[in-house]
Amino acid sequence: MNPTKPRCNFNSPSLFRSLTKPKSTQIQNINILFFIFIYLFIELMLSESVFCLLTEDLLIRILDRVNSDRKSLRLVCKEFHRVESTTRKTIRILRIEFLLGLLQKYCNIESLDLSVCPRIDDGAVSVLLSHGSVNWTRRIKRLVLSRATGLGYVGLEMLIRACPLLEAVDVSHCCGYGDREASALSCAVRLRELNMDKCLGVTDIGLAKIAVGCSKLESLSLKWCLEISDLGIDLLSKKCLELKFLDVSYLKVTSESLRSIASLLKLEVFIMVGCYLVDDVGLRFLEKGCPLLKAIDVSRCNCVSPSGLLSVISGHEGLEQMDARYCLSELSAPLINGLKNLNHLNIIRINGVRVSDFILQIIGTNCKSLVELGLSKCIGVTNMGIMQVVSGCGNLKTLDLTCCRSITDVAISTIANSCPNLACLKLESCDMVTEVGLYQLGLSCLMLEELDLTDCSGVNDIALKYISRCSELVRLKLGLCTNISDIGLAHIACNCTKLTELDLYRCVRIGDDGLAALATGCNKLTMLNLSYCNRMTDTGLKCISNLGELSDLELRAIPNITSIGIKAVAINCKRLANLDLKHCEKINDSGFWALAFYAQNLLQINMSYCNVSDHVLCLLMSNLKRLQDAKLVHLTNVTVQGLELALRSCCGRIKKVKLQSSLRFSISSEILETFNARGCKIRWD
Amino acid sequence: MNPTGSLCANNWARSSSLVPPGNGLQTNLSLDPSSFFGVGIETPFKEINQPSPTQCVIPGESKKDVKITDQETSKLQDWDPSAMLNNLSFLEEKIHQLQDVVHMIVNKKFQPFEQPRELVTQEQQLITADLTSIIVQLISTAGTSSGIQPQNNCENKLFDHSIQNDVPNKCEMEQNHNMEEHEHKDEEDMEEGENLPPGSYEILQLEKEEILAPHTHFCTICGKGFKRDANLRMHMRGHGDEYKTPAALAKPHKETGSEPKLIKRYSCPYGGCKRNKDHKKFQPLKTILCVKNHYKRTHCDKSYTCSRCHTKKFSVIADLKTHEKHCGKDKWLCSCGTTFSRKDKLFGHIALFQGHTPAIPLEENKGLAEPPDRCDAKENSTMVGSMNFCFGSNPSSENGIDNMMDVKGNIDDPINYFSSLNFEGCNFGAFNEFSQPPFEDSDSSFSFLMSGSFNYAPKSGGESCSDNL
Repeated sequence: MNPTKPRCNFNSPSLFRSLTKPKSTQIQNINILFFIFIYLFIELMLSESVFCLLTEDLLIRILDRVNSDRKSLRLVCKEFHRVESTTRKTIRILRIEFLLGLLQKYCNIESLDLSVCPRIDDGAVSVLLSHGSVNWTRRIKRLVLSRATGLGYVGLEMLIRACPLLEAVDVSHCCGYGDREASALSCAVRLRELNMDKCLGVTDIGLAKIAVGCSKLESLSLKWCLEISDLGIDLLSKKCLELKFLDVSYLKVTSESLRSIASLLKLEVFIMVGCYLVDDVGLRFLEKGCPLLKAIDVSRCNCVSPSGLLSVISGHEGLEQMDARYCLSELSAPLINGLKNLNHLNIIRINGVRVSDFILQIIGTNCKSLVELGLSKCIGVTNMGIMQVVSGCGNLKTLDLTCCRSITDVAISTIANSCPNLACLKLESCDMVTEVGLYQLGLSCLMLEELDLTDCSGVNDIALKYISRCSELVRLKLGLCTNISDIGLAHIACNCTKLTELDLYRCVRIGDDGLAALATGCNKLTMLNLSYCNRMTDTGLKCISNLGELSDLELRAIPNITSIGIKAVAINCKRLANLDLKHCEKINDSGFWALAFYAQNLLQINMSYCNVSDHVLCLLMSNLKRLQDAKLVHLTNVTVQGLELALRSCCGRIKKVKLQSSLRFSISSEILETFNARGCKIRWD
Repeated sequence: MNPTGSLCANNWARSSSLVPPGNGLQTNLSLDPSSFFGVGIETPFKEINQPSPTQCVIPGESKKDVKITDQETSKLQDWDPSAMLNNLSFLEEKIHQLQDVVHMIVNKKFQPFEQPRELVTQEQQLITADLTSIIVQLISTAGTSSGIQPQNNCENKLFDHSIQNDVPNKCEMEQNHNMEEHEHKDEEDMEEGENLPPGSYEILQLEKEEILAPHTHFCTICGKGFKRDANLRMHMRGHGDEYKTPAALAKPHKETGSEPKLIKRYSCPYGGCKRNKDHKKFQPLKTILCVKNHYKRTHCDKSYTCSRCHTKKFSVIADLKTHEKHCGKDKWLCSCGTTFSRKDKLFGHIALFQGHTPAIPLEENKGLAEPPDRCDAKENSTMVGSMNFCFGSNPSSENGIDNMMDVKGNIDDPINYFSSLNFEGCNFGAFNEFSQPPFEDSDSSFSFLMSGSFNYAPKSGGESCSDNL
């Protein structure tokens, strides 16, 4: 959130922009348009704010209707700003400098997100809690502390004790968290939702603390909490009887855990990806237990066989979602028969399984309400099989056919004809797909939002022309499609104006002209990958700098771009957060200097193999206040002293650094210790 | 010669003389034959390896035994005599075959060089194959006609092993027999199962001095005392060659072992104790060692203190040693102050009680700030109040444990101990919710409660507390 000064004068274009957003042009917004008329009228007549006349109640109602872009609405006038401040419920802090002020201003927030805010540590928390004259914590229901690695258990406990209504906490990816932090979390007695993914230090003891302290827990994710064992899960199942969602992925738990979990009467979603110690015995416990189970994920559980999965299925005919990716080699006949009974199945993902036309036919004829089908890397997927499955499942919205290399245009045409609602189609590495199949797709699937054509060598400029008919496309992946050129890209740029993500990785024929077209057509692009597009130059980069929404830009190994292009990007792309410049060897100090001064929102940067000097590196690292992840491998012009100085300057703020492993013993151990103590992770390349 | 049959007979005789009618033997026999095999199948091998010296082999007796078992089984199950006869004749035939085979083996042994060596080995293989097939048939037939002891003179070990399956409860009796000879540490618990009628044993009562004497075996020459007779005998060797003979070194009482002796039981000299013979519900002690341990544990001061925790005290040095083995390993700590040697025990405890959580040991100092709850308490309450609060919130702190241990050491009566704590108003977590003392391993604390309740009984007036048992 950028701090914005409240403007006193009227700013009608801003209001207009906010009210004519595509999403807000719905039936309910008619009365807002009515307001605009009155507003424009009175502005002309009286030059005074009409909103002074409206009660706060009415203003709040207006704001409720326009929830798509409250930010620009706030800029309209004082009243809007005031009402918006009092009614705002969620806030995501990007910079710690403004944290205190923002919390005082938005005193009614219910959700506080500190996941991307650097320098959140115990001291900051104690200042926050002691200074605020307005008690901002009293309404907080949700705390997002994901990757807040600087926060220790003392600060965490203070924060949690200060929020009496707290219901949801996210501490995922705080790798250093252990039992003490879990103990601090257990102070939140009203907690209903907890995400502890990758809290590597949490053991059964910590889990027991939470299980006893937060007995109202409904949703708990323990993914990658590798220290947790059967004992902890057993206690959890005894204490937290309200659990509806449980994720125990990658834990070293055995079938005994499933015996305990089966006693959870309210469990609806159970995810156990990569639990390699769980076998069919465990799944048989689930057959009789968890009466409300709706979704199960046994992906990558190597010891699970079709018969185990069948026992789960036979116990739960209301199953809606089944994930069995990369755990079965093939589906047995009884399991296929069991699938016949699952009439409510919405989502089925069986990536990596050997299938046959017969199996796909069974799925197609029985699972009529299927919305998502994942057949990625399945062996034995043929045109015939695809035709049989899609002819039955007309409601399919997501179809993943990654690496189903034997399917051809016939299958694509059938998909297009059978599934008019298709929103996501993944065809990575389907080499035999050409413009013929994609023609039909462009004709029929007008709802398509995501299309993955990575590594489809059959895709050419004509194919892109056909695809461009899907004007709702949001994400398009064309990586490694070496046959597409600027012409094809221009078709996409002209028609797919809603595109936010575009992957052109190694599309070597793409040049500056295509990028120019892209910059004018797809101005909503937030993610753009141009790595290894070695024909592009600074001209193209200057065009790209016109994409004001751009946040992720990958420019890896483009030999021709220089500091001039980077400077344009740094100045114009204000939202730029992730930048990859690895192996861009022509960019020199002036380019990085521009980044240091203009790209103030930069979160991650990869400048390995770049020609940056000691001085500018230090400047960059100290000046970019949001920077949290830097990859600094093979900086030939940087000395060890320079690197040390740069690290010192960003210490406490940065969360991840990648350094050359040969420097491991040259860098002073004091810096490394400080980094470690501050929760910063150093990876050695 | 059938050693197993005679063994069975021996046991039979002994147990029938010891155990009054109506005891467990008949119930054992009334089991159906299939379960006989299920029960006996694992144990016999063990016994063959350690035959007891009392096994004297009397063929006639073994025959009698067979008759008895036959009668017993015929009473208890549906028995078809003609089928039995068939089986017997089949067995006879098989045994004859077996005899022939063995004869062949014996003959071959005397003329090994007349034939080429390969031929000999080949024949031997054939014979052994024959032998095993016959044995297998024999076993299966024996299985169908249970209760029959096939009479044969085969010296084959394997054969013996298999036949032992037919001896159903012999092993159990053997075990009982061994138990009496054996020294038991937990004899007091074991005794609960023993239901000897009052008149069937001789009661001995040692005096207090005798019990507390450190040594019971004294050298007649130099006067040195020993705890064990075996050690004394080893010592005696030093006094001359006459003590080195096998006869002198052998266990003396074994020579008189064959004659039936009256069972000895012991009484505790402490008046009012349940182990005292004048007590209404007198329960005798089995061995002298039992008496010693019981007397020390129950009626003596606990003079041995653990060198690690300096809190736990014991009157029997073996108990101290057992404790010291585990002391300090109880790293699993509950918020109520109870420690556990094993994580699963702690988790079982937490699952059982509401509001208990595992305590996280304080490894590092909380240098940064005081916990907020403590600050609140100081702000809101007087000094005393905050003290109490801290106690309540940190029951795991060493202070708390020390205090509790002191209380335990001073006050003998467990009931008083509990109530006095509560009276003082120190709120040690959820102390009232459960009856376990919060300073011990759950395993040992359980046994502590059991033994403790009857250990404490006499001091607070045996009659009133005897109900605890």
